[in-house]
Amino acid sequence: MEFTPFLRTYVKWLVGAALVAAVYAVLWPREAATPAEQEALAEGRTLIVYWDRHSGHEHEARRALIDEFNRSQDEVYVRAVPVGYNALMEKLLTSISGGAPPDICALDGTIMAQLVGQGCFTPLEDFMARCPYLEQEDFFEYVWPMVAFDGHVWGIPTTTDTYCLLWNKNAFRKAGLDPERPPRTLEELEEYAARLTIRTETGFEQIGFLPWQPWDLTHMWGLLFGGTWYDDSTGQMVCADDPALLRMLRWQRSFAIDPKSTSNAPYAMDPEKIMSFQKGFGDYMSANNQFYAGKLAMITEGEWQVTFIPKYAPELDWGVAPIPAPAGAKPRAYSSTCVVDCVPQGCRHPEAAWAFLEWFNSPRPGGTSPASDYNYAIHNIPPRPEEAAQERFAADPEFKVFVEILMERETVSSPVMPAAQFMADVIERQRERMVFRKTTPEQALRDIQRTVNDQLARVRKLLERSAP
Amino acid sequence: MSRADRRHLRNGLLFASPYIVGFLVFVLYPIVASLYYSLCQFNVINPPVWVGLENFQTLFTEDPLFWKALYNTLFFTAFSVPLSLVFSLSLAILLNQKVRGMAGYRTVFFLPSIVPIVASAVLWLWVLNPESGLINGMLRQFLGVDGPGWIADEHWAKPSLVLMSLWSVGGAMVIFLAGLADVPQVLYEVADIDGAGRWIKFRHVTLPMLTPTILFNLIMGLINAFQYFTQVYVMTGGKGGPVDSTMFYALYLYRNSFYYLRMGYASAMAWLLFVVILAATLLLLVTSKRWVHYHGE
Repeated sequence: MEFTPFLRTYVKWLVGAALVAAVYAVLWPREAATPAEQEALAEGRTLIVYWDRHSGHEHEARRALIDEFNRSQDEVYVRAVPVGYNALMEKLLTSISGGAPPDICALDGTIMAQLVGQGCFTPLEDFMARCPYLEQEDFFEYVWPMVAFDGHVWGIPTTTDTYCLLWNKNAFRKAGLDPERPPRTLEELEEYAARLTIRTETGFEQIGFLPWQPWDLTHMWGLLFGGTWYDDSTGQMVCADDPALLRMLRWQRSFAIDPKSTSNAPYAMDPEKIMSFQKGFGDYMSANNQFYAGKLAMITEGEWQVTFIPKYAPELDWGVAPIPAPAGAKPRAYSSTCVVDCVPQGCRHPEAAWAFLEWFNSPRPGGTSPASDYNYAIHNIPPRPEEAAQERFAADPEFKVFVEILMERETVSSPVMPAAQFMADVIERQRERMVFRKTTPEQALRDIQRTVNDQLARVRKLLERSAP
Repeated sequence: MSRADRRHLRNGLLFASPYIVGFLVFVLYPIVASLYYSLCQFNVINPPVWVGLENFQTLFTEDPLFWKALYNTLFFTAFSVPLSLVFSLSLAILLNQKVRGMAGYRTVFFLPSIVPIVASAVLWLWVLNPESGLINGMLRQFLGVDGPGWIADEHWAKPSLVLMSLWSVGGAMVIFLAGLADVPQVLYEVADIDGAGRWIKFRHVTLPMLTPTILFNLIMGLINAFQYFTQVYVMTGGKGGPVDSTMFYALYLYRNSFYYLRMGYASAMAWLLFVVILAATLLLLVTSKRWVHYHGE
C-alpha cells in the first residue's frame, strides 16, 4: 500500500503518541500493587500503607497479623512494607516532605521524639479516647512518657525491651566456673571476665566480657551506676561532674590497659588488640555473632535473643540473669526505647489507620490482643504489664528473667529529647576516645554535656523560629 | 538562522530534553538550593531559617570533628592520588608490551574496577581482618611477623584505605593505555636512531607525551578522593572509627545531614568541599602549563 506524504507523517505521529501513551500507562502510579489490593479497592475498601521498622522473621510475624486484620473486616486493607531500621528516618522525612507518607509507621520511640517537634506526626489522644482498651495507666510507667509529651499522644507503643546478662555455659565450664551461677556483683563480673578471657600470642581466643560489646551501652551503664545524664525538667544534659557517671566511665576504661600504669586490672586488655579482635566478629544476625561463636563469653543483651539464639545458634548452651548492680547503686532495669506505631502528618487515611491500630491493640473476643501475639512471636516484651504477665511469656525460663526485672525494678530509659541520636553518638565517641586515652573521663563528660546542649539549643532555636 | 536550522535546533533540544530536564531538576536546582540552605538552619520538614554565616562560623570555630574530617580526607588524598597514578601508569606500561594473551591480562587487571564498591569493601574487610585476614595470615606464615591491626588500628586505618584504593585503578589504567597508544611511533624511531635506551625513551618521550593523560587522571583522582565515602561507610559501619581515624569529610557531611538533620550545616560543608576541590583543580590547571605537553606544541 502506498502512503501519501501527509498520511505517512500522520501515521508517524499517531504511532509516536500511542507509544508515549503506552509508556505513561505502564509507569503511571497505581494505588493497588497486587491483585489482592485491586480486589480490596474494587470492594470499596480503603487501602492504607504500613511501614514496618522490623524486617526478616520479625516482619513476617507482623504481616501474619495484618493478613488476619485484612480478612477480619471489609472496610480497610493494610499493605505492609518492611522498610527496616536502616535509614528509616531519612525515608520517613522524605515521604512526609514529599507529601506521600505512609498511613502508619512503626519506629523507635527515640526517633519519634526527635521528629515530633517538627510536626511529623498526628496527635492520637482523640482517637485513643474512643478506644476502651487503650489507657495510659495500662502501660509500664516508663513507657508512657516516651510517647506522650508536649500535651499530646504521638504514638502507640507496641513493643518494649530490656537488657540482661547472657553467659555461655560451655565457656564457664572450660574456665572451671559453675555454669549455673552467673556473676551477681560487679566485682564478680570482673573476676569472671578475667578468668574467661583466653589470651593468645597475638590477641585473644575469647574475651570474658566487654562493657561496650555488642552495643555501646555507656548510656545504660551510667544509669545503672546511679548517674544522671539528662534533666527532664530543664531539658539539659547535666552529666559533667556527676560522680556516678565518672565512676562508670573509669570502670569501662579499666577494661583497657593503661601502658603507663603498673596496676592494671587483671581483666584489662590492650585496646588495640580488642579492636583487632572485634573486627573478626561476624554479622550480628548470623551464626557468627560474637556471642554465638564463643568469642565473647558474657554479654549484655535484650530479650529478642530468646528467639535469635534458637534460630542462629541452636547448639548454644546459655543462661540469662539480671545485670549485676554496681556496689551502692539501687538495682535498676534499663529499657533503651520502645517501638511505636505513629500516624505521620499528611497521610491520606488517618481514620482507617486508627481502625487498624485499635484492632491491633484490642483483645480478640475471649482471647489475646494481636499486639500481645506479635510480642510473643518475636519475643519482645509487651509494653503493657498485664500482657507481659501472661502465662505464655512466663513459660519460657529465659524470657521470664527479662520480664521479671521490668516488673520488679525501677526502670530507666533514654531521655525524650529532640537530639537523642546525636547524644548517643557523642557519648559513644567520647567513650571510645577515653578507652584509647585520648581524653579523661572528666573531660569526656564535660565534652558530652557541652556538645549535646549546644545541639539541643540549635534544634530548639530552629523549632522556635520556624513555629507557625 | 534558517528555518531548517531552527527545526534542527528544536529537534536537537527535544531529543536532549530528558537530560536537560533531569539536569535542571535533579542537579542544578539542588546545587543552587544547597547554597541557600548553607546560609540557613534547615531540618527538611520545617521551612529553612536564615542564619547568615553562622554555619560556617560554627564549622571553623566550634567543631573539632570538622577539622579532623578535613585532615583525614587531605591525608587520604595526598597519599592515594599520587600512588594510584604511579601504580596505574606502571600497570599500563606493563600491559602495553607485545606479549601473547595481553587482552586477557588487561581484563584481569581491569576486573576489580567493575566490582561494585560495596562488595569490594566487604571483601577488603576480610582481606584486612587482623585476626583471620589474608594479608596478616600471609605475613604470619611466610615472614613470621604479626601484621598490624589494619582497619582496626587507629594509626593503620587510613594507610589501609590508601592501600585498598590501589586495587581499583583499572579505570585510570585503561586511560593510560589509550594515552600510550597515542604516542607517535615516529618519536621512538627518532630516539632509536639517536641511540636512546629504554629509560631515556620513557623519560623523554613517553612521559612528556602522556602528561595530558596524567593531568586528566590526576584531576579525576583528586575529585574522587575528596569525596571518598562508600568504602569507609561500609567498613566502619558509618561511624568513622577507630577514634575518628576514618571520619572522612563526606562521611561527616552525611552524618550531619541524615543522622542529625542538620541540612544547613551539611550544605555549608558541601560548599566548602566544593571550594577546596575547585581551588585544587584550578591550581593543577594553572601549574599544568609548565609540565603538560599537548601534541603539536
